[in-house]
Amino acid sequence: MSETGVFIPHHARRLNERATQRSSFLSEAKIWWREIDRVLLILILVLMTIGTIAVAAASPASARRLSTASEQLPDLYFFYKHIAWQIVGVAVMIGASMLTLENARRAGLVLCVVMLFFLTLVPFIGSDVNGARRWIDIGMRFQPSEFLKPGFAIALAWIFSWRMRDPNLPVLATATALLGFVVFFIALQPNFGSAMLLGGIWFVMVLLSGLSVARLGSVVGGGIALITATYFLYDNARHRIDSFLGGGTAFDQVDLAQRTLLAGGWTGTGFWLGLKKMNLPEAHTDYIFSVIGEEFGLLVCAVVVCLYLAIGLRILVRMIDEDNYFTMLAATGLTTLLIGQAFINMLVNLRLFPSKGMTLPLVSYGGSSTIAVCLAVGLLLAITRRNPFLKRRTAGLAQMLGMGEERREPKVEHRAGTYRQGGEA
Amino acid sequence: MNVAALMAQDAPAVSPAIPSERVQLVTIRYRAVATARMRIVWVALGLAFFALLALVRIGTLGLSDHKTQAASLHQALLPTRGDITDRNGAPLARVFPAYALWYNPEALGDGGEPLVKSPEEVAAGLKRIFPDLDEAKTRAQLASGKSGYLRRRVLPEEANRVQELGELALEMPQETDRHYPQGSMAAHILGYVAADGHGRVGMEQVLDERLLDPSKRGEPVALSIDMRVQGALEDELQRGMKLVDATGGAGIVLDVDTGEVLALASLPEFDPNKIDAAGEANMFNRVTNQVYELGSTFKPLTVAAAIDSGSITSLSRRYSATPYRVQGHTVKDSHPMGASLNAPQMLIHSSNVVTGHIVDEMGAATLRNYMVQLGMNERPYIELPARGFPIWPSGDWQRIRAVTVGYGHGIAVTPLHLASAYAAMVNGGIWRPATLHMVKPGEAPRGRRVFKESTSSRMRQLLRLISKYGTGRSADATGYRVGGKTGSAEKPGAGGYQRSNLVSTFAAAFPMDRPRYVVVAMLDEPRGTVASSYQRTAAWNAAPIVGRLVPRVGPMLGVRPDEHRDVDISDLRAIVPEASE
Repeated sequence: MSETGVFIPHHARRLNERATQRSSFLSEAKIWWREIDRVLLILILVLMTIGTIAVAAASPASARRLSTASEQLPDLYFFYKHIAWQIVGVAVMIGASMLTLENARRAGLVLCVVMLFFLTLVPFIGSDVNGARRWIDIGMRFQPSEFLKPGFAIALAWIFSWRMRDPNLPVLATATALLGFVVFFIALQPNFGSAMLLGGIWFVMVLLSGLSVARLGSVVGGGIALITATYFLYDNARHRIDSFLGGGTAFDQVDLAQRTLLAGGWTGTGFWLGLKKMNLPEAHTDYIFSVIGEEFGLLVCAVVVCLYLAIGLRILVRMIDEDNYFTMLAATGLTTLLIGQAFINMLVNLRLFPSKGMTLPLVSYGGSSTIAVCLAVGLLLAITRRNPFLKRRTAGLAQMLGMGEERREPKVEHRAGTYRQGGEA
Repeated sequence: MNVAALMAQDAPAVSPAIPSERVQLVTIRYRAVATARMRIVWVALGLAFFALLALVRIGTLGLSDHKTQAASLHQALLPTRGDITDRNGAPLARVFPAYALWYNPEALGDGGEPLVKSPEEVAAGLKRIFPDLDEAKTRAQLASGKSGYLRRRVLPEEANRVQELGELALEMPQETDRHYPQGSMAAHILGYVAADGHGRVGMEQVLDERLLDPSKRGEPVALSIDMRVQGALEDELQRGMKLVDATGGAGIVLDVDTGEVLALASLPEFDPNKIDAAGEANMFNRVTNQVYELGSTFKPLTVAAAIDSGSITSLSRRYSATPYRVQGHTVKDSHPMGASLNAPQMLIHSSNVVTGHIVDEMGAATLRNYMVQLGMNERPYIELPARGFPIWPSGDWQRIRAVTVGYGHGIAVTPLHLASAYAAMVNGGIWRPATLHMVKPGEAPRGRRVFKESTSSRMRQLLRLISKYGTGRSADATGYRVGGKTGSAEKPGAGGYQRSNLVSTFAAAFPMDRPRYVVVAMLDEPRGTVASSYQRTAAWNAAPIVGRLVPRVGPMLGVRPDEHRDVDISDLRAIVPEASE
């Protein structure tokens, strides 16, 4: 296709799209099945299954805690609602993963812009829950910050990939300005967990964009200064960090979570046989990891940690031999979002991190935020789609580690290879 | 190998159609991708680090075996809600594990009849165990096949007998129950715990968070009240109320130096163990929530303000006691008291006219200022949630307003306001907020000075004079040196004051030579009965309550009867003929 020597951006892609439009849904699904990262999909579904069981275990604790004299919630109230959200979530995930790379990017950007708009509205028309103003109520209630996260990762990746068109564009300044804008509105809510996570995505992008180690050091220093400032400016943050550093008081949330986590020993008390979870606030959301610990044991907790690690490494290792710059950045950003939130939550449960009020993605009961997480995973699956019949021409992990043969290819082919998926399956 | 150099060198030769900028872009992209690839490895390593951290933590937590025990003895014994005790540790409210009797029609699980025997037999069996059971209602409930409580609070012995009925559908879930071992005693102070597990009305509501906090609820909360004093107060108040057929009563015993409430009673009472409609009607607290015009009990406060402000320089100064007009209103007394009286005589005979003259000399603004200082313009200071706002004349006071306030009309406060003000008057002049929490020795609040020490000394003499020679004689318990003032105010109703409906109060302190406690007893709408010699005024109904109460509680509170001690009133005898006999 590039034999003519005249380079037409996305030319091949457009041809491809036209062909796809003509093809039936079945063949599109076939292509999807071949291109999708099936190992990743299976890991995600395994995690969601564990989540469903864990929510079933935690549901009685939360349902009884949130029942009032006038309204008695059934024990499995949250379980049934979780199932409903998960069905919608999986549909959103599969739907999003069917997008082509370009459409996934466009969808991410649209999501980012729309959610930025809602985010700026939150201070005016938002509703308060537990002293923080995070929710928007337009027909359905949702947190713009939750849906913003995947869009934000894709938007940042897109901004950084501008350099592929023109190396002189101020990508770092633009990305930092976007981060500052978003963090300002999120800190207003206040929602420090999300602010930290978005800052983390930005940092990973900056890291990938090749900022020198010395400047990375100053970014880290600036981050520490910001966290210190938060500590002194916000009472809530201070209390949480103080109670983390000072060991907390007996029977505070974190203490109760740890009692729950350890109550089952290595192998757990058994499904629905946990007792400590009953005293645990937010058993079905923030502290579901502890409920897993009580009922299924610490070994299963370790398995959950390993599952998240496996998901993260699966994506990252595949990204090493990726040659599309945007894909690399976007996939790494979305991975940071997902796995970062998971590790923050698990480390809070393990008392290695101050409590943050963050759910365990794909596992916790999350209501509308389940959709946001599934959307992020769907976009990730779409972005990491790849034609299995095209041989990778770029260096993989093995080659980087000095193993395996060196792949070198003629430069013309190399250039053509930058627009992958040019060939037909 | 330098790829960029290679490309730059080769590019024109292979594909001349590609401009050099394009080649430069390709170079940049190649480098960027290479860098990103390297950095992705960093990210992966960071991820692996955190995962390792979590795994190591799980391992160490799992190996620290002392943490994995299911339940410690400490936790097993931790009550679900903290106890409340009086100041001596006597239990006032506690939880105990109880059984409930629950009807579960699905217990047999075969979809057939819920009971083995007939509902009639089961109901009769239950009736034998619980004699107060409503048999017909129970039978209907058993026959209806709907699940529900048949009974709360089943004793273990009764539970065993229910088991012997052999009905699986009769389940006995363990429930924790709030129990008030003293019954209705101090009910208004304690309140109760509602079905949602949270306290209502009294300290149960105030201390709710503290009592439920798992880190604190192991320790009982001690209140300032003394159960023995509380019991005596309720008993005497009840007796006094019944003797004169009053509709309600209120009483309080207050420590003058710390503001601790030793006893506080509002009658009729309710039983926190059994909340019903009748009980709910009585939850209203007359001591802290209801405001009354407390009448002549304000006169000592007026005299104290006049002495303190320097308006009364000589107690022998005589004032006209004949009715006079102030701004169109006539100030008069219940009965004529002669041509003139001095201030001590005014207190002994309780003359409105002379009080009016004293207020006139002092000035309205001065009296108002003292009333503000005594906290009469705000809700009473105490922890209880129900605190009544006084009917307080706003703005600057007219002369007539000040005169009426001087004898306790035109201003309505709670009995607690009055008790706190009397405490300030006799304790050396310091006003302190009343509290239901125990105050440790030496930790009493500083309070604010309202009266001079000298004024307070004088008032002790004058109050003692009243109960020795004036309207408070029936409160003068031998040896306890009681000093206090009566007050009988007509209750306002439709169309002005009602002559027949009174609020009679006796506000006192003892022992007058070194005051320790203030006692206020109040009766709402007392009637003239044989016991009160067909009188309705406080001298005949409220004062005797204090007269009977003080000898009962004095020894418990460390005040011993002593007829050889008393406040020295020899300097007043010369000017008070009533005291010279």
